[in-house]
Amino acid sequence: MSVRRHLHRLVALFRGRHLDRELDEELQAHLELAERDAVASGMSLDDARRAARLALGSVAATREAHRDARSARWIENMMKDARYAVASLRRDPGFTATVVGVLALGIGANVAMLSVVDAAFLKPLQLHQPDRIVQVFETSRSGGFNNTSAPDFLDWRRLGSSFAALAAEDSIAAALTGDTEPRRLAGKAVTGDYFEVFGLHTDRGRTFAAEEDRPSAAPVIVLSHAAWRTEFGSDPDILQRHVVLDGQAHQVVGVLRPGPFDREETRFWKPLALNPEEHPRDWHWLTVYGRLAGDATLAGARDEMEAVDRALADVTPAFKRDWTISVEPLVRRLIGDELRRAIAVAFGAVALVLLIACANVANLLIARSSTRTKEMAVRAALGASRGRLVSQLLAETLMLCLVGGVAGVALASVLVRVADAVLLAGVPYLAPLRVDLRMLAFTGAVVALVALVVGIFPSLQPSIRDLAGSLRQSNRGSSAARTRLRRATVIGEVALSLVLVCGAFLLLRSLQKLQYLDTGISVENVITLSANLAPSAYASAPAAAMFYDAVVEGLEAAPGIERAALTSHQPLQWITQGEGLQAAGREDILNVRYKRVDAGYFEALDIPLLRGRGITRRDRLGAPRVVLINEALAARLVEYAGITSPIGRIVKLSAPHYAAKGMVYEDFEIVGIIRSERVAPPGRPDPPVVYVSIAQVPRPDFRILVRTRAEPATAMAAIRDAVRRVDPRLPLGDMATLRQVRSGTLQRATRPAWIIGSFAAVAALLAALGLYGVLAYLIVQRRREVGIRMALGAERRDVIALVLRDAVAMIAIGVAFGLAGAVGLTRVIGSLLFEVSPLDPAMLVMACATMVVIGLAAGALPAWRAAALTPLDVLREG
Amino acid sequence: MSAVDEVPYGTLDLLILKTLDSMGPMHGYGLARRIEQVLGRSMPLSQGSIYPALVRLEQQGWIAARWGVSDTNRRVKLYHLTRGGTRQLRAEVARWERTTALVTRFLEAKS
Repeated sequence: MSVRRHLHRLVALFRGRHLDRELDEELQAHLELAERDAVASGMSLDDARRAARLALGSVAATREAHRDARSARWIENMMKDARYAVASLRRDPGFTATVVGVLALGIGANVAMLSVVDAAFLKPLQLHQPDRIVQVFETSRSGGFNNTSAPDFLDWRRLGSSFAALAAEDSIAAALTGDTEPRRLAGKAVTGDYFEVFGLHTDRGRTFAAEEDRPSAAPVIVLSHAAWRTEFGSDPDILQRHVVLDGQAHQVVGVLRPGPFDREETRFWKPLALNPEEHPRDWHWLTVYGRLAGDATLAGARDEMEAVDRALADVTPAFKRDWTISVEPLVRRLIGDELRRAIAVAFGAVALVLLIACANVANLLIARSSTRTKEMAVRAALGASRGRLVSQLLAETLMLCLVGGVAGVALASVLVRVADAVLLAGVPYLAPLRVDLRMLAFTGAVVALVALVVGIFPSLQPSIRDLAGSLRQSNRGSSAARTRLRRATVIGEVALSLVLVCGAFLLLRSLQKLQYLDTGISVENVITLSANLAPSAYASAPAAAMFYDAVVEGLEAAPGIERAALTSHQPLQWITQGEGLQAAGREDILNVRYKRVDAGYFEALDIPLLRGRGITRRDRLGAPRVVLINEALAARLVEYAGITSPIGRIVKLSAPHYAAKGMVYEDFEIVGIIRSERVAPPGRPDPPVVYVSIAQVPRPDFRILVRTRAEPATAMAAIRDAVRRVDPRLPLGDMATLRQVRSGTLQRATRPAWIIGSFAAVAALLAALGLYGVLAYLIVQRRREVGIRMALGAERRDVIALVLRDAVAMIAIGVAFGLAGAVGLTRVIGSLLFEVSPLDPAMLVMACATMVVIGLAAGALPAWRAAALTPLDVLREG
Repeated sequence: MSAVDEVPYGTLDLLILKTLDSMGPMHGYGLARRIEQVLGRSMPLSQGSIYPALVRLEQQGWIAARWGVSDTNRRVKLYHLTRGGTRQLRAEVARWERTTALVTRFLEAKS
């Protein structure tokens, strides 16, 4: 058939009525002309009319043949089915709304979750050839991540041929001063080829030139596009400007193109200007990134770094002789195992919800089709083929699924917007979450699959297989197979829901444990801010120490403030700085977390002193150095050097220099033991921690802790004023209450609980709906039986028992299967739980109980309705 | 009993094209009568079967239709051959002649 003909046939679809009218008129003319000819040849009028009709043949058949010839009939049938489906669905809005709602939930959650999976696992990071970017770091025997020393980095860069570029970065912060309020900008000091590693290009200007990467070079910076926009008002002459950072004028040489780096907190980059003599090999402070060379493989790079490690064995400090060098793809480092697992579990949960939704919709459709057996039978008797009836049913299902799919996509786009913010906050280089064309294609596939699975059930029913039979009988019998099918789906639903409900209960229990997690500190009414002393204004340790005293004194004198304290690391967060501790007479060095605090720290956070004394104001520069240890370190010291009474012991501990990189080992006296405050993420043991006096080992960047008398927000102005009086050019940044810090730290553990909990609630609801549907339907079917029983003297409660027995049987079987499933999945969920066994009997019992209660509630309404029947009602129906 | 059984499949199209070519614009009844006359009693035609054939030819673009008036002043749909139709007819006739010639030769050779 020619293209032209196809086109005509399509157009004819939409002009059917017009074409029919034209044909009718043509046939009418035909008959009239034939009649006239016949009359002219001498026939009577009646005979002429009959002869004309006879010669023409059946008008109806001609019309059908005409339609067949002119248009694509299968499309026409389909459109008719669709129209009929829409009409029949509109007749039953309650049913339609339920099915569409259930499908929208299932499909929407799946599409949203898939776009998360897509962004996190499938789409590449928003960087140039992201699979070639790796992170290179040192791993101690116990695993984990360690920064690199400057000489090590330089050796790696010199010896490693697997990398097209290898760059180091150091996180810094600087005070931006100028015509406005001083602001604190987060930045990175980077080596020259940093931009090459990440494939970053400038929008205007350039990145660093080779000579700018030297200690003596004039200070220059590159700005992120976001910083240029927000901090400098998109100034077109930015490249002509000098920007004052930490009191020193910096030339802006370039602005990056807009991109994923705008989502990060880094606002500017400056040359790292490495000077190897200044930086000892035991001072780890650099993060190293590399871009693999054209033909290099990850395995090749790993082998090479292993060889490099061996080659450097002679110069490697003793304490890290058994460390190794790791090369990991950047994406693996960004999306850790924990996030990976949480996403996988959540994806499994939504898939279950979709499965339950399908079972439910199938159930509802079967229930509906059973009430339409007669309609179908009548249509079959009137000449509709079985294929047409099935296609009619499928059309209805498809229509429902389509509407459900559209509603699902709408739901997904809302969910995705929420998830996008959460995910990008954690991993800035991810592709943004979108419900894009591929997601829509996936939705289409899901909808088609759902329609197929769900639509096949009703059309497999005996009533459709044997239509003539179903016309003969009343709607009493013949439904045993159908009922079995429906019972099986309900049992399946109960089982799947129970798996989710078990997961939800376990996670909620874990959530509850986390809420009561003893952090070892009091978080009420404490606000924390970060501060950075500009090296130009505070060039020496004594200058910094003087500032510490002044700022604490000023804050404590301010109204509404109870206590002020200083610390090098945010409470409730991992202490990123690790240093070495060496006891007298020991060769090996103990790796400890290193925190600097002032005299008020323990008191401000209510950390109890177990033995000895705390840090006092007398522990200042020049006085004998003191250190406090936590319980974990006290325990560690026993096995490390057999020290059981550490108070008064002198140990060697590294004391980092104030502004320059590097450190020296100094003698410190252990003066006290404190109860451990939480440093490790939930579920991990406390690491050994040393607390040294910040006045004795000062550093330019630190955090201020303020305990206020009332709500912390009310004291903000007073805090700003007090700090400004000490140094008007010191910007305060990164403000948060300890309560926020706490929930941020816990969030990684709590998020999956909330997601899976809400899925479980939806699933349980769907299962209840399914159960209700089946029981209600069974009651309608057994009205006669119930009526007769009552006529024979059954009490109302016998009837209720009859119905509930049915419900209980289905629930019991479902719960048994569900429990088996939940036990089978313990390994999956175990890693997400905190201090809760995945087989926690109390939680499993509660989950089962919940499911039974929901099931009985779903059964109660039909049971009550059955009991309200009177024998007369039923018998009158005939 | 359908018309297709009476008139060999595909030949009705050719008959219509040929009739329109020799007689000029005609309405459906006229065409049916004319074809009946030519076929004679040997091959009865159900007149209705002409209409699906007409719509098929129209959609192919070989004939075109417009509403006009018959000699008896009845509003009728008049069909006429298009240029494409003329070409198609020529091609069809040529093919038909080739086929019959081939079949005739084959049959003669056998006898």
